[in-house]
Formats: sequence, C-alpha cells, structure tokens
Amino acid sequence: MAASELGKQVSFNGETLTILRSATLSLFEGESVAIVGTSGSGKSTLLSLLAGLDYPSSGEIALFGQRLSGLSEDQRAVLRRDKVGFVFQNFQLMPQLTALENVLLPLELSGRRDAREAARAMLERVGLGHRLKHYPKHLSGGEQQRVALARAFVIRPKLLFADEPTGNLDPATGRQIIDLLFTLNEEEGTALVLVTHDNELASRCDAIYRLVDGKLSGAGR
Amino acid sequence: MKGWRRLVFAWRFARRELVAGELTVLALALVVAVVAMASVAFFSDRVERSLTLQASQLLAADLVYSADAPADAALRQQAAHRQLAAVDSATFPSMVFAGGQAQLATFKAVSNGYPLRGAVTIRRADGVLVNGVLHPAPGEAWADSRLIGRLKLKLGDTLQVGQRSLTLAGEIVREPDATLDLYNFVPRLMFNLADLPATGLVQEGSRIRWRLMLAGEPDRVEAMRAWLTPRLPRGARLENVEEARPEVKSALERARRFLGMTAMLTVALAAAAVALAVRRYLARHWQSVAVLRSLGLTSGEVWRLFAGLFLLVGLAAGVLGTVAGYAVQQLLLRLAGSLLGEGLPQPGWFAWAMGPTAALVLLAGLALPPLAAIRQVSALAVLRAELPATRQGFIAPLLAVAVLLGLTAWQIGDARLAAVWLGGLAAFLAGVALVAALVVWLARRLPAGGRVGWRHGVASLARRPWLAVIQIVALSVGLMALLTLTVVRADLIGAWQRSIPPDAPNRFVINIQPPQRDGVADQLAQSGLTAPVLSPMVRARLTEINGTAVQPNRYESDQAKRLAEREFNLSWSDALPAGNRLSGGAWWPAKRAKPQFSVEKGLAKTLGIKLGDVLTFDIGGTPYEARVTSLREVAWDSFRVNFFVIAPASWLGDQPASYITSFHLPPDSEETVNALVQRFPNLTVIDVTAIIDEVRAVVDRLARAVEAMFALALAAGLLVLWAALAATRDERLFDAGLMRALGASRQQVRGVVLSELAWLGALAGLLAGLGAMALGTVAATQLFNLPLTLNPWLPLLGMGAGMLVVTLSGWPLVRTVVRTPPSAVLRAG
Repeated sequence: MAASELGKQVSFNGETLTILRSATLSLFEGESVAIVGTSGSGKSTLLSLLAGLDYPSSGEIALFGQRLSGLSEDQRAVLRRDKVGFVFQNFQLMPQLTALENVLLPLELSGRRDAREAARAMLERVGLGHRLKHYPKHLSGGEQQRVALARAFVIRPKLLFADEPTGNLDPATGRQIIDLLFTLNEEEGTALVLVTHDNELASRCDAIYRLVDGKLSGAGR
Repeated sequence: MKGWRRLVFAWRFARRELVAGELTVLALALVVAVVAMASVAFFSDRVERSLTLQASQLLAADLVYSADAPADAALRQQAAHRQLAAVDSATFPSMVFAGGQAQLATFKAVSNGYPLRGAVTIRRADGVLVNGVLHPAPGEAWADSRLIGRLKLKLGDTLQVGQRSLTLAGEIVREPDATLDLYNFVPRLMFNLADLPATGLVQEGSRIRWRLMLAGEPDRVEAMRAWLTPRLPRGARLENVEEARPEVKSALERARRFLGMTAMLTVALAAAAVALAVRRYLARHWQSVAVLRSLGLTSGEVWRLFAGLFLLVGLAAGVLGTVAGYAVQQLLLRLAGSLLGEGLPQPGWFAWAMGPTAALVLLAGLALPPLAAIRQVSALAVLRAELPATRQGFIAPLLAVAVLLGLTAWQIGDARLAAVWLGGLAAFLAGVALVAALVVWLARRLPAGGRVGWRHGVASLARRPWLAVIQIVALSVGLMALLTLTVVRADLIGAWQRSIPPDAPNRFVINIQPPQRDGVADQLAQSGLTAPVLSPMVRARLTEINGTAVQPNRYESDQAKRLAEREFNLSWSDALPAGNRLSGGAWWPAKRAKPQFSVEKGLAKTLGIKLGDVLTFDIGGTPYEARVTSLREVAWDSFRVNFFVIAPASWLGDQPASYITSFHLPPDSEETVNALVQRFPNLTVIDVTAIIDEVRAVVDRLARAVEAMFALALAAGLLVLWAALAATRDERLFDAGLMRALGASRQQVRGVVLSELAWLGALAGLLAGLGAMALGTVAATQLFNLPLTLNPWLPLLGMGAGMLVVTLSGWPLVRTVVRTPPSAVLRAG
C-alpha cells in the first residue's frame, strides 16, 4: 500500500475545513503500521481514504499496485472483498444476523462454496465455536469484537484495517482482543494498519505514524 | 422544572428536532393523514349538503312545513325575517266532475311562485311540452294523464271542482314533488290557491294538508329548521325527501355508504402511516433519552417532554393539514365542479374540527403507548445501549382507530358501516400478521450460504422478523386500499350503475283483471316485449300485531302513523321475487306452504314488526292471521314491482285480486301501449321514464363524486407504502454501507435490496388481493345490496402490483444506498 500527498477538505456552512494535509505513507506485505493521534486528529478519515471507502480531495493511493483513483466504485469493492479486512471500534456487526451469519456475509458476497465450514472454523479459532447462533445483542463487547475479527480474517485478507479495535472495551478484554489480532495477523501473514491513541498498543507495530492536526509525521520504529 | 420553563424547553427541543429533520417523517405523515381525512370530511360534508340541495328539488323546496291547518303568521314572519321565499299549497282528496262523470282525485292548490326548487313539465293544448317554474293561473286547472284518461277529457274542457268551474289548461307530465305511489291510484288535479276559497271545499273536518314551502340560503334554511323543530304544533311536521321517495333514498343511502367506506379506509391508512412514523422516530431517539436522563431529567420529565413535543407536532400538523385539506378539496370540486352543480354550500364546523382532532387522537393512540417505555428506562441502561423493547400493546392503537372510525361513522351517520369496517379490519390485520409471521418463520429456516442475491433478499427479510411482519401488515393494508380503490371500486360502482339497467321497466300496468292476464301477456309478447311477470295484489288492512290492535296514534313517527293507517297491497308468490333479498328468516317451500308472511325490512322496522310476530290482516272483512317467517330487503331503485308484504300462493291464492306488471317500453313504441289500452280499456298504464331518468342522473352524479374521493384515499394508501419503507430506511442504509465496506459490489447491494423489496411486495400484494376480494364481497352483499362479480385475478394482480409498487417506491432508497460512500454510512451507524 502506498499513499502520497493525501489531502481531505470538507465544506460546512460555507467554510472549508481541512481534515488532512499531504499525508504520505507506505506499507509492505506482512508489515504492520500504527497511526497514532488524539481524537479529531483525522485518523478515521485517513483510514477511510486508505481503504477506498472515501475519496481524497488531493493525492493518490495505491493498493496492491493498483491506483484507487483509476478504479471504479465496483472495482474497489472487488478489491476490498477479496483482499481487505476491517475491524471497527464499535464492532459494526449486523444486529439482525447471528454470529455465524455475520461471519458468513463476506464469504457470501464473494460467492464462496465452502462458506459455512470456513465461517464456523474461523469462529472456533477466535474461541466462539459454541456461540454460532447467538445474536450480537446476546454477546458481550469482547465477544462481539471477536466475531468482528473472525469476519475480517475469514476471507484471508492481505491487508487489515483496524480502527481503535479496543476503544469500546475494558483494558483486560482489550488486551485479549489485541493478542488475538496480532496472533491471527502473524499466522495469516496479513499487513496491518492499526489506528489507535494508545502508545503501548502502537509500539507492537513495525512502524508508527503520528497524526497531529491533519499532519502525518515520521515513521518512528 | 417549573411548568413554564418546561414548556419553553419543550418548545426549544421541538424546534431543534424540526431543524435537524428528525420530526420530518412523523410530521409529514401526520400532515398528509390529516389532509386526507380533512379533505374527505370537507368533501363528503359538502357533497352531502349539495345532495340535500338536490334532494330539495324533489320536495320543490328546501324546507316543507306540513300541517292540518295553514301556517300561522308567526311562522311566516320568521321565514320572512330570514329572507326565505315562501309558497303555500293545500292537498286533499275530492271529486272532480266533467261531462256528467265523477272521479276521485287528489287536489293540489298552489300559490304563485311554485315550485321553489325543481321544475314542472306540462303539455299544453298545442301539444308542446313546457318546462320551468310553472303553476296554473287562477281559473285554470291541470290534470295528470290518469285523470284525463278516466274522465275522457280534452284540454280546454271545463271541470267542476266543488262550487267552482275551472278550465283544463294543461296535462301534468311531471311535478317535482309528486310522490311515486304506484299503488295509490288516485289521479292528480292541480289549480291555483286563489281559487280554493271559491270551491267551498274548505270546511270544518275536511282532510286538507296545508304546506308552507320555504327556500333560501342554506344557513338561513338551517336556522329556520332549528327554530321551527322545537315549536312544531300538534299535527304538524317537517317533510323530508327520503320518506317520500324510496327509490331516491336507496341511491342516497348507497352514496353515503360509498363515501363512508372511503373515509374509513382513509382513516385506517392514516393510522398505519402515523404508527410507522412514530416507530421510526422513537427508534432513533433512545440515545437522546439517555442523554437527557443523564443530564438530570426525571423519567416523568422526559416523558412529558416527548408527550409535549408530540402535542405540538400534532396541533401544528392538524391545523396545517386542515388548511391544506380544504385546498385539496377545492381542487377536487373544481375538477368535478360542473357535475356537482354550482355554489356548493360551505362545510359545517365538524369538518373543520375533524383534522386537528384526528391528529391528536392518532398521536394519543399510536405514540403515547410506546412512549410509556421511556418511563421504565434507567439512564445507565440506555447509555449501555441496552435499548428497551418497545412493546406496543394492541389496545391503545385499536382504540384510537376505533375512535376515529366512530367519528367518521357519526359524520356519515351509519353505525353498522363502522362496525362492519372495524370488525373486518381487525380480522384482516390479524390474518395478515399471522400469515406474515408464518412466512417469516419459514424463511428463517432457509439454508444459509451460497451466492448473495435473491435468496439473500428473502433471508434478510426473515432476519428482522418483527419488522418484517409490521412491514408486511402495513404494506398489505396500503396495497389492499389501492386494489379496493381501483379494481373493486370499478366493479362496485359498475354494479351500482347497472342496478338501473338501460332496459329498466319504465311502464307500470295496473288493474289487470284475472281473466285478462293471458291476453295482456300475449299482447305484450307479440309486440316484441319480454313476457312480463304479472303479480297479484289485494287490498288489506293491518289490524293486529301479536293480538294487539294496531293504533296509528301509538306510533311516534309520522311515517309509521301513515303506514299504519293506510291499506296495504298484499301479494302472494311461491318464489322470492327478483330483486328481493332475504335479510332474516327463511323463504317458504314452493308447494303446500303453511300460512305465513314475508315483510319488507324497512316497513318492519318502522312499524316495529319482528321475525316471529303474528300479524292479522283484514281482507274484505275476513281476518287472516299468520306468523312473520322472513324479512326481505327490496331494491326500490330497481323499478320492479315490489310489495311490502307477501304470503304463500297456496294460502291466499283464491282471493279476488287484480294484477300489476311492469315492462320496459323502448322509445317510439307508444302504439304498443295504445293498442293494449284499446283492447283492455280498464287498464291504467303509468309512465315512469322521467323518474328513472332523474334517479339515473342522481346515481351518475353520486358515482362521480365518490370516484373523486377515492382518488384522495388512494393518496393515503401511497403514503402508507412510503412510510412503511421509510420506517426501515436507516436499517437498510446501515446494512448496505457495511456490505459495501466488506466489498459487496453495487450490483450485489442493489440485488439484495431489490429482491427483499420484491419479496416483501409480492407477499403483501397477495394478502392484499385476498383482502380486497373479501372486502369487496362484504361491501357488496352487506352494505350495498349489489350483485358483484369479483375479478378472480385479484390475488395475482395484487402480487404483481405489490412487487412493482414496492420495488418502484423503494428505488430512491436503492439509489441512495448505492451512491453514498460506505464510510459515510458507517459513521452514521
């Protein structure tokens, strides 16, 4: 993944707000980077741009050697479907789907035949083999994030975006989730972009970028 | 918080909510619901007033005071004070003498200015028909064809009326206030009231009915009616058109029921739309409740805040909707204006009050119960995102809908309609909810896995079971309304208009003697007319009900008094006559039936006769006693020969009777009738073409008015569909955004949303089609007494229409889903 000179402005009530200015970063196969910053520093915006969920006002992003600006909306979707996983701060599970069905969703989207078995196996790997038929509202926060991890890893992504994955969890549960995240990451050889405000967590990554007032700086290791 | 501060806070809160667009859906649903209901209320109110206006043409006035003595000076003064036009008439039976012969006739003496409403048609000596506001000049008289026929008169002949001689100057072809009483064969003679004293017929004890006919501005007429009603002297009454003209009454009754049905359909639809909007609003506001609670508001204060907010919205929507409803109704009237006549009367206060009342009742019933859940929620619970399950009881919403239906029924004046509606609606909703729950249960058991698409659509429907059931119910109600209003309406109105077919009988032949029966039938058949049914009739007087003598004075209503006084025409038959429908009891066997009676329902009601009562009739001095074994509904506007009381032929068949028949005489075939009368001079042939045309015109006008109103209810149906889809908009947007983040292509997202909508539409449409069929059948048989052939394709049509309408109306949603960047959706979620 390579991003150069990324900028993002939005206008609100006639005023132009600059959320991000000329951010440049890169990531190679199997590598992990942390993006650290306080709330409102533009972390989530940067993540959305890198994942191709939103459009930059300026600059260029390439994923797996393909420039996102040259891809149509659907071509980006295919890219995400096959190679990119997500973990969100607030889990973003579909409330009306069971744990198993939530994990099945990305497999169904790509039309995998062995979807059921793969999803079940993944849930067992995150330790939820006994809660397949439970709905998110019947799961604790940690369990919900495990389902989210299972959903992210079930497609064997090349790249994983994690947005404050422990932000909504207590410290102990958060540590468990992070351990699980890094374990899976290592086993699968996935590249990781981790957005966090937690320096300790960031230090587990290969590189750390800091985001202050929309400016990205340094790749301190 | 103190009261006023709470109000200020509620107002600020409401303003912010409005600006943020949170109340848009609810407010819009309320406004449109009120617009629909108010315009229906305005429209039906004004149409009804205009119908009364047209009906007054059949009275020849707006208000008729009728008494056994002339109206006194005080009454006339009141009428003059209200600037009402006044005309007098005196009606009584007496003998006319001409050419050495005498004939009993009903005399009608009218003052100048008659008729105040409607028109008189006469044939002058030169054979020309004249139509207009006409009355005989002093010294002249007009007679109807019966009198002219009986006395063998020519125009210009001199008649002796009491001590006065009058010149026959015209033949009455049509007088607006003539009662269509085929069985009272007394001919009519009309002359000027100025000649009445000279006849010397006005004496102590003469049976004269004096009428004061009044007409003027509707408000003033109403004021006069209100003033007069409590001051009516003994023996006086106000006449109304419906008792005088049963065939017009039938048409008015049906129109009122059509209007009522439409209004109630709109009420039900409006309720559904508001319920869905409230659900959506509250689902989005649990977070706000939590914040307010954590900021220190008590649960009661939060509850009052939202209740106050709803009250504000309800009042605002009520007022806005009423004003808009008036405008919509004006537009409707402009569209149908020339059909309904010029200068419609303004709507009454009830129509104005309908809108705001409806908005508040709807909110009270549909919004307050789910709002009550707020009180049971602790601040912490909500902050932890443990949202309360909004258990919406069924009682409050049903109660609200019942109240609104009651209000509408009160306006329409038909409790039975409301009962049938409410029962039918409850049954339909229960049925639909059951089927929907079953289907959703089945769908949940579909195997998961495989490709995303159509199968995913039905599965995702099943994954929100309660929402799916609510949506299916709401959509089927909306679609049922659409189907009822398009397909079933056309069938019903068609059946109504066909109830007076082009070949409806327009000639009645009376006084056929038993030996002449075959001759009359043969001659009519030879002239190319279908062989007519000849019905026997015999004059009879009702003397006892259950052994108690019938005393006209015992009855409250004048109509009952008159019916109890007069002689009935009894008939006998082995089969239930065509155009009659049993409404209670059973018809007798064709052979060897025991003595019994079948009575017309309206008569039974007026005279207080119930199934199983024993009636005694006096026929030529002999009492005939039997039990009432059936009640019949008679379509009086079918223009067939109808009887109030019928007995089995095996019992009364030997009575000396005369026969009556009716047939359709095509235009320009008068010679057929002339030949018949030449061969059988004792027959009387009565021409009712003018009356049929009049009733047909009334039916056509009514049908158009009803159709115009259906269009409005249709709009309410569409609103429900929209609200049903809007209710799940947020959920769908979130789902789609997440799916796109996970890499679903636009086509896949579109496929899932579209297939879900299509499944939803097909299922709701199927149920709606079945519901519309049931509704149409119940309406036709129970409410309108019309033969209805239902479209057997309705369920299939419903399915197709449901898929199409729901998918199309969901299209903007699909576009939004596909166009919004997934990051925006996720952030909102």
